[in-house]
Amino acid sequence: MAVSSTLRIAWRNLGRNRKRSLLALSAIAIGQFAFLAVAALMNGYGDDFLDSATGPLVGHIQVHAHEWRDERSIDLVMENVDAMLAEIRSDPDVAHASARIYAPVLAALTEDGFMSVVVGIDPEAEAHDSGLLPAGTPRGSLGEGSVLVGRGFARKYDIVPGMELAVVGQDVDGSIASGLFTVADSIGSSVEIVNSLGIVMTLDDARDLLAMSEDAHEIVIHVRNSDVIDDAVSRLSAAPTLAGSEVLPWREVVPQIVAMIGMIDAFLMIVLGVVFIAAAAGIANTMLMSTFERTHEFGMLLSLGCGPGRLARMITVEAVMLGLVGVGIGSALGLVFLLATSQTGLDYAALGGGDTYEVAFKGIQMTTLVHPRLYASDVAAGVVAVFLTSLLSVIWPIVRIVRLEPMEAIRT
Amino acid sequence: MNEVLVDVRDVRKDFHVGKITVNALRGLDLEVRKGDFLAIVGPSGSGKTTLLNLIGALDVATGGVVSVFGQDLSTLSRRRRAHLRLTSLGFVFQAYNLVPVLTALENVEFVLELQGAGSERREAAMSVLDELSLGELSGRRPNELSGGQQQRVAVARAVAAKPRLVLADEPTANLDSENAEALLRMMRGLRDEHDMTFVFSTHDPLVMSYASRVVTLRDGRVISDEQKNSDAHEHRRAN
Repeated sequence: MAVSSTLRIAWRNLGRNRKRSLLALSAIAIGQFAFLAVAALMNGYGDDFLDSATGPLVGHIQVHAHEWRDERSIDLVMENVDAMLAEIRSDPDVAHASARIYAPVLAALTEDGFMSVVVGIDPEAEAHDSGLLPAGTPRGSLGEGSVLVGRGFARKYDIVPGMELAVVGQDVDGSIASGLFTVADSIGSSVEIVNSLGIVMTLDDARDLLAMSEDAHEIVIHVRNSDVIDDAVSRLSAAPTLAGSEVLPWREVVPQIVAMIGMIDAFLMIVLGVVFIAAAAGIANTMLMSTFERTHEFGMLLSLGCGPGRLARMITVEAVMLGLVGVGIGSALGLVFLLATSQTGLDYAALGGGDTYEVAFKGIQMTTLVHPRLYASDVAAGVVAVFLTSLLSVIWPIVRIVRLEPMEAIRT
Repeated sequence: MNEVLVDVRDVRKDFHVGKITVNALRGLDLEVRKGDFLAIVGPSGSGKTTLLNLIGALDVATGGVVSVFGQDLSTLSRRRRAHLRLTSLGFVFQAYNLVPVLTALENVEFVLELQGAGSERREAAMSVLDELSLGELSGRRPNELSGGQQQRVAVARAVAAKPRLVLADEPTANLDSENAEALLRMMRGLRDEHDMTFVFSTHDPLVMSYASRVVTLRDGRVISDEQKNSDAHEHRRAN
């Protein structure tokens, strides 16, 4: 079996100069490990980012009155929202749909006022993992003058449950809107506007405050599977009750986040490029040195009648074997890193000696605690990259071998 | 008269070293006949190795004709010359030249594999080693063998595919006399039992004493061609 003997010779040749083979293996393994570690961190960060983006604030699909997104004017409302919600919820791909009202107001505990935002929600419709009031958040006391406030907002103004909050703003007719609400509790939210400015109340309380009827500013939709977003957008756009509104996928709502995810992918490609270079340098150096050292041996094999093709195959198998063993070790190290960090997470802030903290980007709160994630495609990308690099790195040695004349080689 | 296996006619070979041209062979004529145990001797630079390389289709003559088994080598492509080496010629080099990562058995087996032998090649390789009393060394790699053992394995590899002609370039140069004699006896046995033809280039008087024919070169030409009694060596040893 020519194949098995070629494999055997290639494998044993790797052991001829162990130091050099180990150095090349280390370069490849470290490259693959670095790629997987960076990919895992970036995936974790990107996925958290995406989950946050398509989570409570933006959802998978949004419905608004035209121009509301640009102007955020309180009177740009959608009417007959209940009928719209009924039609949206009848779509088989829609998992959750909830209407929201947003209104900037001035809030006051005593005589000092501060900037705030009323967020009107339907507590039942928001009670899911991607809703504004996920499981565990106190919502039972919402309604009839009772509100929740964002945790950051509460901390900043020393608001505690039981306090009365005076709210003054402008209703949809342009008249003064005012009301007195009791703080039921504070809530932590990944939605920055809720966390730092939010006074969360029921849709009914918000409508009473702002003189709205069956109106809302926004409907946030979560579909069952992110692959069907575009299909759902097409169907909903054609729905009769939504005809006067804009129906947008999340990518159009927050293009900055799409750009950021694109940037993460580009960054990964750069790291993959570095792995390519490290692997290419390691393998090419090893194979070149190896073929130069073995010129005499190749001459002898050519003298025996071994064809240059067979020699080229031996060298190629050797290089691919070196690359794949290296990438295998690197992948194993990457998986160990993933196992060690995916559950507990890796805190960027802690690495710098600080505490975990949250930052906001485009209204979405991100934590410095990242849970690394790897996909099979990441490992495969490294393996394919190193495999191709192995093939590329033997081109020169093979060209040299093919040109060898037996006697010239033997004299070497 | 035995069949002519190699016919070298008016062969010239020039090497260019910078601006200098070295005339290694200058119109050399030689016939190698079936069953020859031929030693090509001569001082360094006389053209022994060059001649061997031309006969072995490892190099191409500058002028003249080198015919091996009736084929004019100058008409053969690189691939055809490689095929000729693989199927009809055996080589033994001065430095043992075994593949260092293969065992003795695998080295012999490798040549059979190159020839396209199937699953029977391991058995065939082992049988060659056994025939040459090298069976015990079959699992050892070259670095675990002495110089003499390595050269005997190299001979086993050269003859494994039963080539008609075996070319050996100074095969005893790195061996002590005991190992050299063992090697020569082995090769003589192969010639007698398998009808092979051997051509050596050598400086070694021991090789000459075993040879059935000694051709002496000087300055790229044959200056003497002595046919000896093939049993002369045994006769001398017996006395």
